[in-house]
Amino acid sequence: MHDSDAPPVVSTGLRYASPVLLFLLLGFLAPLVTVVAYAFASPKSFEVFTSFTLANFSAVLDSSNTVWTSFVWSLGLAAACTIILALIAYPIAYGLNHAFGRFSSLVSVLFVFPLFISENVRLYGWVQFFIKNGVVDGLLNALGLGPGPEVLYTPGITLFGMVYVYLPFMLFPMTLGLSMVPRDLIDAAADLGAGRFMVWREVELPLAMPGILIGMLLTFVLAVGAVAEAKILGGQSVITVVHDIEIAFTYAQDWPLGAALAVLLVLIIGGLTLAVLSRLDLDRVLGRR
Amino acid sequence: MSSALNDVAKAPLPILQLVDVYKRFNEFTAVSGISLNILDGEFLTVVGPSGSGKTTLLRMLAGMEAPSDGNITLRGELINNVPAKQRPTCLVFQSLALFPHKTVGENIEFPLKVKSVPPAQRKERALELLRMLRLPESYYGKNVMKCSGGEKQRVALARAFAYDPDVLLFDEPLSALDYKLKKVLEKELKDLHRESGKTFVYITHSLEEAMVMSDRIAVMSAGKIVQIGTPESIYARPETEFVAEFFGEVNKFPLVRDPERGWFSADTDSAVTLTLPDSLQGAQAATLIVRPEYMRFASAPDEFDNVIRGSVFNEYSLGSRIQYQVRCGEKSVLIEIPRTLARDAALDQQVMIGWNAADAFVAEA
Amino acid sequence: MRTQAKIRSEFFIRSWAAFVLIAIYLPIVCSALAGLSKSRYFLFPVRQFSLDWWQRTLASLEVQTLVQNSITVALLVTLISVLLAFFGALAFARYEWKGRKLYQKLLLLPIFFPQAVLGLALLLWMNALGITPSWRTAVVAHLVWIVPVVTLVIAIQVYSYDATLEEAAIDLGAGRLFIFKEITLPLLWPGIWSGALFAFLLSWGNFPLSLYTAGADSTVPKWLYSKMVAGYTPMVPALGTMSTLSAASLLLLGGAVIAVIRRRRQK
Repeated sequence: MHDSDAPPVVSTGLRYASPVLLFLLLGFLAPLVTVVAYAFASPKSFEVFTSFTLANFSAVLDSSNTVWTSFVWSLGLAAACTIILALIAYPIAYGLNHAFGRFSSLVSVLFVFPLFISENVRLYGWVQFFIKNGVVDGLLNALGLGPGPEVLYTPGITLFGMVYVYLPFMLFPMTLGLSMVPRDLIDAAADLGAGRFMVWREVELPLAMPGILIGMLLTFVLAVGAVAEAKILGGQSVITVVHDIEIAFTYAQDWPLGAALAVLLVLIIGGLTLAVLSRLDLDRVLGRR
Repeated sequence: MSSALNDVAKAPLPILQLVDVYKRFNEFTAVSGISLNILDGEFLTVVGPSGSGKTTLLRMLAGMEAPSDGNITLRGELINNVPAKQRPTCLVFQSLALFPHKTVGENIEFPLKVKSVPPAQRKERALELLRMLRLPESYYGKNVMKCSGGEKQRVALARAFAYDPDVLLFDEPLSALDYKLKKVLEKELKDLHRESGKTFVYITHSLEEAMVMSDRIAVMSAGKIVQIGTPESIYARPETEFVAEFFGEVNKFPLVRDPERGWFSADTDSAVTLTLPDSLQGAQAATLIVRPEYMRFASAPDEFDNVIRGSVFNEYSLGSRIQYQVRCGEKSVLIEIPRTLARDAALDQQVMIGWNAADAFVAEA
Repeated sequence: MRTQAKIRSEFFIRSWAAFVLIAIYLPIVCSALAGLSKSRYFLFPVRQFSLDWWQRTLASLEVQTLVQNSITVALLVTLISVLLAFFGALAFARYEWKGRKLYQKLLLLPIFFPQAVLGLALLLWMNALGITPSWRTAVVAHLVWIVPVVTLVIAIQVYSYDATLEEAAIDLGAGRLFIFKEITLPLLWPGIWSGALFAFLLSWGNFPLSLYTAGADSTVPKWLYSKMVAGYTPMVPALGTMSTLSAASLLLLGGAVIAVIRRRRQK
C-alpha cells in the first residue's frame, strides 16, 4: 500500500495526519497542559508557570471541604446513567440491525437528529413538560385530577436528563457493535441446538462487546462531565463536578482550585478511556475488516 | 452404469421428503415447486448456478427458513415450522461460521455445552473428533482464527459431528479453498460419509465436486429440479440443454426438420442422422448436443453416422487429454481425444470429424 | 424463520423504539407549543395560538446578530474541519504507517472528553496566550471536538475505498493530482458530504464550548441558555424551534444531496 516513488523521509500516512495532529496538539493537549500547570499554582492566584504548590489538591481532598461530594454525585450519576442507557439502547440497537428492515436508516436518522439540537433547548422542553402549568400539570388540572407530581429540581430528574441527552452516544456504538456479529454465527449456534439465551450469551454478546464497550465508555465519560442537566432540570439540587469547576473559574475566581478539580476529573476520564481503547482494534470496529 | 432406480431399491427409506415446496420472498420465488425424496444414508448433491434457489432449499431443510407452500417431512413427520435447533440436521455454512472468539476445542464442544454435557466428557469427545478429522490433538486450545483454510474446514465438520445430526447439510463449504486442497477434502468428505453412515446433502455450483462425491445429483435451475439421478446418468443422458451444458462442454447444433432432407443442420449445411426421443417425435426444430469427447477424427466419410469437414484452428492441452477447435465454415466444433492419439502439426490441417447417433442427444429447441 | 416468539420479540423491539422516539421528540414539541402560544408564560393546554413571538424573534436585531454569529462559526468550522479531516481520515484508514494505531486512539480522545471541561481548559489556554475570547476562538474550540468526529465519518468511507484503484491508475500513467481529482475525491464524496453536514450541524447546535470560549460574542444556543437562566420570554422556545427546524431542513437537504451522489454512482 506504500507509494511506489522513492521512500520519503516521512511516511504518507504521517504527512496526512500531521495537520490534524498539529491542530490537536495546540487545541487539545496545550490546554490540558495549561490546566495541569494552573493546578499547581498558588491558590486564588493567576501565577501560572511561576509558582508550585500542592495546596489546591489538598483543598480538594480535605474532608472538611464538601467538594468531594460533587465527585461522588457525578460518578454515581454517570454510572447509573450508563447502566440505564445500556438497557434502553440494546433492544433498539438490535432492532436497527435486525428488526426495522428498510426503515432502519430512517430510524437511525431520527435518533441522530437530536445531536444537532443544543442540549439546553431539549432539556428546557422537559422543563416546560413538567413545570407547574406545563404539559403534565396543566393536563391533569384540566382533567380535574389535581396538580401534577413535582419532579423538577430533584436528583432523579437530573439523571433522567442525562439519560435523555446521552442516548445517541450509547446507541450508535452499540449498533455498530451488534452489526459486527455475522448472521451466520447466530444461525449456526441455533442450528447446533442453542436456545435464545445461550446464543446471546455465547455468541452475540461477546462479539458485539467492542461496540458495547465503546458506547458505555463514551456515555460514562461524557456523563461524568455533565452539567447542563443538573442546572436546567435539576435546579442545582445536585452540584456536579463540572459545576464546581465552573464555579471556581467564575464566581470564586479561584482558577488553581478549578484546575486541580479538572485535573482529577481528567485523570479519571483519561485513565478509563485509555484502558478501554488500548484493548480495541479500531480498524475492526469501524472498517469491519 | 447403475440407474437411479437401483439406488432407490438399495435404500428405500426416505429420511426427508419434500412435496411441492415453494419459497417466496415478496415478489421473488426462490424455490418453485420442488418434490424430492432424500434417502437415509445417501450423499445427495444439489447443483445449480448461483441464484437457482439451492441455498434457499438447503436453509429450508436446516430449519432456517419455512416453506411458503408445500410440506417437508422428516421420517414421515411434518417439520415445516420446526426451528433449526430442534431438528436432527446440522448445516455447515459456506462461511463455516466458526465462532472467532472461541478456541478450536470450544467450537467443537459448543453443541455439547448446549446439551449440558460435563466438561470432562466434552473434552474427551472433542479430542475424539479431532482425531477423526485428522487434526492433531494439540489444536484443542488453538485460536480457531489462526487455523488454515483446510483446518477450519475440518473444525467446522468436527463441530457438526459433535451435534450428532442424522442429516448433515453443506452449503458450498469448499468453494473458498484452492484447487489442490479442494480435491483432497472432497475425497475425505466422501470417506467421512461412508464411515459415519449419515445422510449428506451437499450443494455446490461445481460439477466436479458433485461428480466426485455424490450418490445422486439433483440439478436445479430457476427454483426447480430439472433432473435427478446418478452422476453417470446425468452426465451421459442429460434431459435438457441446460443440464447438458452445465455438466461440461458441449457442441450444439440447432436443427430444423426439412420436408425433403429430413433433420438438417443449418450451421454445417448437412443432413444429420439422429435418434429422436419420444417427446420430440412431432417437433419441427430441436437442438443436437454432442460432447467433445464423443467426437472423433474420421478417416473416411462413412466411418461414423455423421461426418463433417473443417480445418483445425487451435489446440488446447488438458493434461492427459487434448482438445481441438475445428472450424467448419462459420461453426466452431470442439473435439477431445486422449493425448496418445494427438495429431502432429495439427494447426490448419483439413480434417473430417464425426460422431455416432447413439453418442449424441437431442433436446428441445 | 419467523416463529411465534420471534414475531413477539420484534413487536416488543418496535414498540420500544417507538416509545423512546416519542420521548425524544416530546420536549421538542413542548418547546414548539410554548413558542406558538400567545401568553407570556407557558400554560397548558394552550389557550390561544399566535405567531406573535415568532414575528418578534424574527424582527429582533439581537437575534439576527446571534444567527449571523452561529452561521459564520458553523461555516468556518465546516470548511476547516473537512479540510483537516479529509487528510486525517486518509491517514486513519487508507495508509499503513508506523504510528497509525496510536494516532487512531489519540484522535478519539477529544470525543471522549466532556465538552464543558474542554471549553474551560481552552479558556485557560487562551488566557495564558493573552487572546481575548470571541466568536473566532469559539471556531477553534468547536474544531477541537468536531475535527475528530468528521475524521471518523470520512474514515468510515475510506475503509470501503479500494486503494488498488490508485495503483491501477498509476499503472495507466496517471499523475498524483490527476488520480486525486479523478479517483480519490469522487469515490470519497459521500463521506466528505456527510462529514461536512455533521460539522455544520454539530457546530450549529453546540452549547458547552461556545459558552466558555466565545467571550462577549453569543451564538444561538448560548443566548438561549442565558435567557433560560434569567429573563425567560417565549422568544426562547420560538428561537429554539426555529433553530431545530433549520437543522432539520439542512439535514434533509444534505441527505438528499448524498442520496443523489450515491444514485448517480450506481448508474
